[in-house]
Amino acid sequence: MTGAFAEADVALRGVTKSFGPVVAVDDLTLEIPRGIFLSLLGPSGCGKTTTLRLIAGFEQPSQGDIFIRGQRVNLVPAYRRDFSMVFQNFALFPHMTVANNVAFGLRMRRLPRDEREARVRETLALVHLAGFEDRYPRQLSGGQQQRVALARAIVVRPAVLLLDEPLGSLDRKLREEMQVELRQLQQEIGITTVFVTHDQEEALTLSDRVAIMNGGKIEQIATPRELYERPATDFVANFLGVSNIFDGRVAGRDGEDALITIGPIQVRVPWEAGLEMGGPIRVAVRPEKIRLGPHDEKEGLPARVRHVIYLGATTHFYLEGPEGQSLVVHVQNISPDTAPWTPGDEVSCHLEPKSVFVLRKG
Amino acid sequence: MEWVRCFTRNRWAWALVLPPLLFFLAFFVGPLLYLFFVSLHVESQTELYGSRLTLDNYLRVAGDPFYLLIIRRTLTAGLAVSGLSLLIGYPVALTMVRMPASRRSVFLMVLLFPLMVSNVIRAYGWIAILGRRGVVNNLLRDGGLIQAPLPLLYSVETVVVGLLTILLPYMIICLVNALLTVDRTLEEAAQALGAGPLRTFLHVTLPLSTPGIASGLLLVFLLTLSAYVTVQLLGGPQSKMLVGLVYDAVMTFIWPRAAALAFILLGISLGVTTLMLKGLRPQRVQGQG
Repeated sequence: MTGAFAEADVALRGVTKSFGPVVAVDDLTLEIPRGIFLSLLGPSGCGKTTTLRLIAGFEQPSQGDIFIRGQRVNLVPAYRRDFSMVFQNFALFPHMTVANNVAFGLRMRRLPRDEREARVRETLALVHLAGFEDRYPRQLSGGQQQRVALARAIVVRPAVLLLDEPLGSLDRKLREEMQVELRQLQQEIGITTVFVTHDQEEALTLSDRVAIMNGGKIEQIATPRELYERPATDFVANFLGVSNIFDGRVAGRDGEDALITIGPIQVRVPWEAGLEMGGPIRVAVRPEKIRLGPHDEKEGLPARVRHVIYLGATTHFYLEGPEGQSLVVHVQNISPDTAPWTPGDEVSCHLEPKSVFVLRKG
Repeated sequence: MEWVRCFTRNRWAWALVLPPLLFFLAFFVGPLLYLFFVSLHVESQTELYGSRLTLDNYLRVAGDPFYLLIIRRTLTAGLAVSGLSLLIGYPVALTMVRMPASRRSVFLMVLLFPLMVSNVIRAYGWIAILGRRGVVNNLLRDGGLIQAPLPLLYSVETVVVGLLTILLPYMIICLVNALLTVDRTLEEAAQALGAGPLRTFLHVTLPLSTPGIASGLLLVFLLTLSAYVTVQLLGGPQSKMLVGLVYDAVMTFIWPRAAALAFILLGISLGVTTLMLKGLRPQRVQGQG
């Protein structure tokens, strides 16, 4: 069993967790390679926190296996698993000083006193909290508490660091600062990290990989860029930003490309296994990757302007397509007379080549 | 002194506080001061107290082995009842806190039910169980284990057991309230850092429940110190405690001595309260020293 997951610090195989009739995590398989910062991103109730708690051992899987560093941990209680965790409310011990909070994990591991003190000092310096040793948690600001929670988690040098929306309770400015610090710290010590969030921007900023979860399943796991540029499902395409979705038909194949017809136009997407000649297909394109032109321009998809929202740097056009579907197009305002259309105007939409992606049924 | 500023700024707050404050001053602080005044006088056959000032009432207690024995017995009983109720009550409270809220309220009702029965009735219940012809002695004799009935009543131990059954619910309620405020994620945080169930309890749950431990211990201790009916009925004349002596002094119209004994009782209460709060430091739960 160890061989298969030797490279992965955390692996879940076919893990299902149900609470009574509710399936929170549904046959989930996931591998997290060493040193990777992975975000579990999804709407509330998608099973991301349950997944984290399954890795931690606070919940037991109904089915499937969980591995930490290749060891199956299903029967290992939380306190014997090699992880540490930062909680949403930080969960600092209110009756202990900062130093004692940070030293707690080391004391539980029975480290000798001098080594313990040295590591606490070192770690507090790492999170810029040197000199705060004797304060109590309630004497600290939210950002400082968050750093103590982080220090307490990393000081034990766990195989995996679990973060349960730790930035959720901070105000926006502080949250952005902490994002940068968290990312730097994670790269500095190279710790495998699983980060649960419902904030897309946060997930994209911080992560090496993002797993988008929905209904207890992972819809797609990829790098932030891949997720945005090549979402695999309707859900991902719409959860991360806005997408225009078209129903088309596979019209033919030209070498590596598939030719797709959407109404009167034809687009190219990379050929992939499973495409059927003449079969239906769903494709999508991001709003900023559609160019608008005058209605008499050739090879464009005709549409009618419904609303226009001028935002300075960009203008958002809400259009009605030939089959009544609504489309969103973001236009960069490069010159004062860019995209002069007003509601009621007829325009033609040009989908940027390479920007069109195929959606799996999801 | 935030509250002082609050009152100087808001006359309405004064208007609300004044009636209970006056009541308290007139019917508690005033009589207390008067009682202290009485305790500093010699006895009198005809008046409430004699005209000469004296410290004799206090000095006599300090020098009399009988009074010292009673004081020691009172302290021992108080500490035994509060300590035992903590030991017995803590596991119960811990179990109740882990229950779903609906079942917990049922348990709480069951717990409070004995308090609806008068102390006198419960003490007679104990007499029916522990007396010479009580349930226990009858069973032992019928079983052939003893010839003569065992003297189970009229001892300090019996008083402690009797008071335990009355005061245990107070302790459990204090502990349940304190444990309910302990954030469960703190226990998970301890586990995440490698603390097993026992060490999680010792380092996190127990210290965070000290406000409940402190209030439970104090409540039970002070109620034990001031218990009369149960002590009298289950302890008999051999196991008197301080309150009993105060009562005896009042019954024999020796008012200054009764007052002095009352103040010694008050002093013990204050002393033990201070020691308990110093030892437990319930305020550290809020991260203040």
